[in-house]
Amino acid sequence: MTSNLPALVIIVPLLASLVAAGAGWFNRKAPFYIAVIALLISFISSVLLLAQVVATGVAIEYQMAGWPAPVGIVYVIDHLSAMVLVVITFVAFVNLIGNRQAVETEFKNKEGAFNALYVLFTAGLVGMTATGDAFNLYVLLEIASLSGYALIGLGSSRAPLATLNYLFLGTIGATFYLLGVGYLYIATGSLNMADLATIIPSMMNSSTILFAFIICLTGLLVKMAIFPVHGWLPGAYSESSTVSAGLIAPLTTKVTIYIMVRICLTLFTPEYTFGYIDPTDIMVAIAVASIIFGSLSALAQKDFKRMLSYIIIAEVGYMVGGFFLGNRMGVSGAILHIVNDAAMTLALFMAAGIFIWKTGDEKQSSLKGLYAKMPFTMAGFTLAALSVVGVPPTCGFFSKWYLISGGIAAGQYLFVGALIFSSLINAVLFFRIFEIALFEPFKSHHHAGDEEDKVESHHGETIVDPGVIESAQQYSGSDSHDHGAIVIKEPPLPMLVPFLGVCVLLLILGLYSGSIVNNIIHFAIPAGII
Amino acid sequence: MKILGKITITICGLLLLFFTSDFPDWGDVNSPASTHLSPYFIEHTIEDTAVPNIVTSVLADYRGYDTMFETTVILTAGLACFLLLRIPRKDSIHRYYRHEPTGVTIRVEGDRYPKGSNVFTRIDSSWVPYDLIINFTCRLLIHFIQLFALYVVAHGHHSPGGGFQGGVLLGASVILFAISGNLRAAIKRFGEKTAAILSSTGVFIYAGAGALCLFIGEQFLNYSALGPLLGTDRIMARSHGILIVEIGVAMAVMAVMIWIYYNLSSAGKQDEGL
Repeated sequence: MTSNLPALVIIVPLLASLVAAGAGWFNRKAPFYIAVIALLISFISSVLLLAQVVATGVAIEYQMAGWPAPVGIVYVIDHLSAMVLVVITFVAFVNLIGNRQAVETEFKNKEGAFNALYVLFTAGLVGMTATGDAFNLYVLLEIASLSGYALIGLGSSRAPLATLNYLFLGTIGATFYLLGVGYLYIATGSLNMADLATIIPSMMNSSTILFAFIICLTGLLVKMAIFPVHGWLPGAYSESSTVSAGLIAPLTTKVTIYIMVRICLTLFTPEYTFGYIDPTDIMVAIAVASIIFGSLSALAQKDFKRMLSYIIIAEVGYMVGGFFLGNRMGVSGAILHIVNDAAMTLALFMAAGIFIWKTGDEKQSSLKGLYAKMPFTMAGFTLAALSVVGVPPTCGFFSKWYLISGGIAAGQYLFVGALIFSSLINAVLFFRIFEIALFEPFKSHHHAGDEEDKVESHHGETIVDPGVIESAQQYSGSDSHDHGAIVIKEPPLPMLVPFLGVCVLLLILGLYSGSIVNNIIHFAIPAGII
Repeated sequence: MKILGKITITICGLLLLFFTSDFPDWGDVNSPASTHLSPYFIEHTIEDTAVPNIVTSVLADYRGYDTMFETTVILTAGLACFLLLRIPRKDSIHRYYRHEPTGVTIRVEGDRYPKGSNVFTRIDSSWVPYDLIINFTCRLLIHFIQLFALYVVAHGHHSPGGGFQGGVLLGASVILFAISGNLRAAIKRFGEKTAAILSSTGVFIYAGAGALCLFIGEQFLNYSALGPLLGTDRIMARSHGILIVEIGVAMAVMAVMIWIYYNLSSAGKQDEGL
């Protein structure tokens, strides 16, 4: 069975989504468990794959339908793709178990379709990561995009419009990529990435190849929402339901960046990308614009999820800029940041889910007094926020360290400046929230103490939760509005434990970032990049 | 803003035109596309898969993995329409009924609907009179469309056709029935639940056939592994494997077309519509 792991990592979610879509018509609870089990199996498979790749040091090739490389479709699991596979399956699994309640209330009577689309989205990303075929990548991109639009479309009343926006831009991006693949096929007659990489060096001067490169890259840049083409992202991520945003926000942009790295390094070989075209200056300039724009816009937001969305745009700038520095430090930093940023974004969106569960809306001003009400949650949130700011020993510090060192080595001081500027802005952003949540007293939406257990969800239903950790504590402050006790009321354990797990993971990732770089990322970067 | 868009589009179009200058000529036998992989498919398809139609063998065998996900894309579209559009029927709105013996149309509010009565028939609020010619022609056509669809599915190995085309034809026949009559009559014959379950089942046949190969001990979707089960040799098993997955594709495409039509035409209520 171990030889089939590269297939299992995607086939199990695919089959599970089909079963979940059917089972939803007979049983309302079954789809959720089917999805969770499938994602768990997929996660375990990708961890085993990563272990195998790290142990042997050789990429695993899997021939779909038994046809060898240029004729059929192959999956190639190397250090880079194995690592990203672990990230994708982990985020999807943790986000789903952490948001069970939201799934049940927000997607009532549609659990089958929702869970099926959720797992399909994950399967699409997994396939995009594992595939070694340029056209197969497009097909899976379609799966991931289409299911992503559906997941995002169901949210607040403005979600459908935001999704339509996303649909238009996302389709343009995907079409550009497909057009690029078409140009490549006309010029070379092949779709297999490894095969293309052997053909392209012999036709460096072909203008068809050049245009294929430009248009593929443009398509991917639209998909990852870098500055001038970012318009779809803030609306799509902040208007959607938390469980969808928690899946899509950490993964879509990061996987698209992985694909950019894959296309530039594996398909168009580093000699072509950095040697012949050498897009460093223009791409780093775009990245700098994205970082500065994202950070400044985040500063202007009142809504927590919207603020996070703009931070994502800035983070995309980090990774694109770092990658196109074209030196080993910068590329390592960009790849390490794919992992770290996925974890940080997951933690922050899970925190957003808990805040919405608690306060009923997404305004930053409603976070008043939450440190007293939910000490564990807020401890986790603080950790995640410090990681985004880049405080050691959280993981955000280490990838930024690599990016800044890469920037200095490449002489791109504007990029270094933008990184430091953005970190400072992030510090302002999160310390503003710390201040609101720590110093201003909590205002309950209900007045009486006996209603304390009931929390308005943003759909207006009242959820009474039996599994809350509850202990009354005398509040010592004198300026409190309700003079009685402040009840510590953490979210239910199934919501809290995965969140805290991710927050602890941010520390672990930070402490082990040296070994991640030395054992995995070092082998993922071709030797030509110094 | 509009002018900016127009300028961008013009520049993009000119770039596309400019870069075609480097293309090989139409039908050039020495172009990379016809010298790199195509000769392999042309020379080996019959001996590899026993399928006379090269397009089908590339689509469903050499690159069958892509096709499986293309089918999944269609299912995803169906699920997306359901998730976004479907809203439960609201029983508080009024409905129209026609009293057959007298031809009087009445409007009923609340839930005092004359259910199970055979003198009252439900009509749509934007009701179009019963058209004998359209109805009769469509009823006549539907059988032949369906028969032709089955032919297209079954003959994908030899002639243009296959699961996607056959499935669309099958779906179109039901949609034609819904358009010529009314939505409720179509839903009564081919319910939403049936459509939803058939669409997943169709893709499941495809992916399941692939997974079966994997459990027998070969690669995913390597139909050769099905040889002993089907009682044929490894080459012929590929041909049969293609037929199995084509049937799955046809089932999924048909059901999704119908499901999407139900949701789109009635704005998700599946009560009345086109």
